[in-house]
Amino acid sequence: MPHNATPLHAIPVVTVSAGLRAGELSGNAPTLLREIAEMLRRLLATDAGSAIDLQALPLTPADLIWLRARLGEGEVAVTLNADGDSSLNETACPGVWWVTHRNPQGAVVSEFIEVAYVPDVVRAPREDVVIGLESLESLSAELS
Amino acid sequence: MHGPLIETLARQGVTRRTFMKYCATLASMMALPPAAGRAMAEAMAAAPSASKRPSVIWLPFQECTGCTESITRSHSPTLEGLIFDVISLDYQETLMAAAGHQAEEALHAAMKANEGKYLLIVDGSIPLALDGAYSCIGGKSNLETLKEVAKGAAAIVAMGSCAAYGGLPRANPNPTGAVSVADVIKDKPIINIPGCPPIPVVMTGVLAHFLTFGSLPELDKLGRPKAFYGETIHDRCYRRPFYDQGKFAKTFDDEGARNGWCLFELGCKGPITHNACATVKWNGGTSWPVESGHGCLGCSEPDFWDGGGFYKALSMPANPLKMAAGAAVAGLAAGAAVSIVNRGKKSSARAAHETTTLADLEK
Ligand code: SF4
Repeated sequence: MPHNATPLHAIPVVTVSAGLRAGELSGNAPTLLREIAEMLRRLLATDAGSAIDLQALPLTPADLIWLRARLGEGEVAVTLNADGDSSLNETACPGVWWVTHRNPQGAVVSEFIEVAYVPDVVRAPREDVVIGLESLESLSAELS
Repeated sequence: MHGPLIETLARQGVTRRTFMKYCATLASMMALPPAAGRAMAEAMAAAPSASKRPSVIWLPFQECTGCTESITRSHSPTLEGLIFDVISLDYQETLMAAAGHQAEEALHAAMKANEGKYLLIVDGSIPLALDGAYSCIGGKSNLETLKEVAKGAAAIVAMGSCAAYGGLPRANPNPTGAVSVADVIKDKPIINIPGCPPIPVVMTGVLAHFLTFGSLPELDKLGRPKAFYGETIHDRCYRRPFYDQGKFAKTFDDEGARNGWCLFELGCKGPITHNACATVKWNGGTSWPVESGHGCLGCSEPDFWDGGGFYKALSMPANPLKMAAGAAVAGLAAGAAVSIVNRGKKSSARAAHETTTLADLEK
């Protein structure tokens, strides 16, 4: 071993404190309800949408289940088929969407709570509508 | 959302929605607020046309090309590979069509035209022994080339463990005198992306950050982006509950191994390795070393190759849960005392572990 190299066993082993276990509530979820309410107030006042990155917060799977149950199921469920399926489901609170992005293997790659009248990604991009129109026009041209 | 990049992607079948989803996920992985995903999508979609793209010069030194393989053969080439559409890759020996004098000309032309602005990516270590004779390109030692090209760079990305720390070439007894980029260059911002090889999305994330915000992301004390190297493999390992219960596989084919128990005693270096494999995984999120039944080698940490053996358990008390609880209760105030106690425990554990490891695999 080179004299300036640190042997692996000299590096202290850092263990994370117990507490965040998959099956337990961390107590962090209820505060999110207040944050979502604030986001809804902002949406009503300014039309500005916003989102919470669920993977960026210290939430356990149990927290997510608790939160999802509190928010409930709404009327709209959107499936986006783009490099893997994504689901954008409105909760029982209109304007609050539970967004789960999956990769082509079905694994969750990111998860958000989005507050918006309609999530951004659902709206057809203008540029795509132009392309759609072009192909429709060429289709009718072929038929005539 | 429009611009040359998104048009190019659209021709490759990547829709705007796919791109927005990708950027939202990238921002999440980089621990940036959700609004940053939108900003990244806008900024990258609008990446200027070829002539005005940021110039990137990629120098391969004493390396195995695994880092290049990792980036270029990532699972969704149209997305991870988008970095090649956003940047102007002016020199990359493995990927460029030019060779010999033409290649050298391309390098010098790019250096001159983008003086002070280009991003330099280095993979591989720099051998210093015998005046650098161990690795030369076009008659110049890697040391000379690095110094020359680094001079005009805005920032340097040290790709992979060789460029970041010296890597395998630096393994004991380091016959070529290999060193890292940071050992040679002292006056430029350097970002280390270690891993043998590094995870492709880390590279894309760092470049997306650079393009969108004009700065490098937050780094840890080893110069690694905190978003990806902020936690250990062990912190996010799905086998962690078994570790906490003291359930360990003792061989690769015992009942514990079949039940998916913790691989600590089989040499897993997860507890001391900072990387994102446990969450981002490999091959498009298919799996990662621990999930396929092998302990973490610790490839994103300095000197992992000289750690005493991939199948040798880390030295630690045999009852990790007790030790974790003890350390947590003791807290910071008693930190010194705890570390002394631990040191004592460690040496006895080290002796005890000698018998439980797979010595035969080491030979
Ligand atoms: S020691 Fe390795 S296998 Fe065990 S929990 Fe930690 S990272 Fe996972």
